[in-house]
Amino acid sequence: MITSIAHATIYVLNQDEALDFYKNKLGFEVGDDMKVEGGFRWLTVHPKSNSQLQLVLAEPKEGPMFTKDSAEKIRSLIEEGAFGAGVFETENCQKTYEELVAKGVEFMQPPTKQLYGVEAMGVDNSGNWFSLVQR
Amino acid sequence: MTTNYKLKKLNAGRDYIADNYQAPLSLSDIAKCSCMSPYHFLRVFKDTYGETPNEFLIRLRVEKAKRMLITENWNVSEVCEKVGYISLGSFSSLFLKQVGMAPTLYRRKLWSLSTEVYRFPSQAIPACYAYHFLGKLAN
Repeated sequence: MITSIAHATIYVLNQDEALDFYKNKLGFEVGDDMKVEGGFRWLTVHPKSNSQLQLVLAEPKEGPMFTKDSAEKIRSLIEEGAFGAGVFETENCQKTYEELVAKGVEFMQPPTKQLYGVEAMGVDNSGNWFSLVQR
Repeated sequence: MTTNYKLKKLNAGRDYIADNYQAPLSLSDIAKCSCMSPYHFLRVFKDTYGETPNEFLIRLRVEKAKRMLITENWNVSEVCEKVGYISLGSFSSLFLKQVGMAPTLYRRKLWSLSTEVYRFPSQAIPACYAYHFLGKLAN
């Protein structure tokens, strides 16, 4: 039986800039930041109150899985906003939205009542959109 | 007091620990950052984050030490001091408890697995990522 999800990947354009966004704007904590052989940087972040799910901030680069061309295509798609980072939960969507807006986080949709709660939709500094949901 | 406000106060204490992990920290100093009594802070911290402030501090120090042991050439005593421990014995036993092996063995083992100096081996990250980004399958 699978009990939980430990890691999920968010492709970003620049790891340093993404780290600044997730840490200093969204208030996440760094899980791992390791220099791995082969020039790979293993960088993970997680919400302060939950380190069970680590978000891996990875740059699409030419390598075993991506050709130079496919890495560039993925980077373009990220910039175009074709990918989503997922859903982040909060206890007060309006308040968190206001705090994040004050920090310069861009939102495509302000807090809005949905069937499942109150939701705002924002975008990270790479172009990945995310939902901020209060259930 | 709203939950958000409480969490913000708690985070101030948690941030204080994270920013000062290399210094001697007392529970009362940390609790002050959160404007709470030490006992109340301890209880709420554990309820919220699932670990005590001291467990969080130890975890943080051990994680920093693991990184230093692999990516720096400092000896174990220097690493011990840099992560805030005065006693090498305490540091080593905490490291052993958290990681499952002594600091020197951890360094020797990971260095021997890595193809590059001062870099973690691919085995230190989940295999699916090592395969995806480095093209390496676990032996």
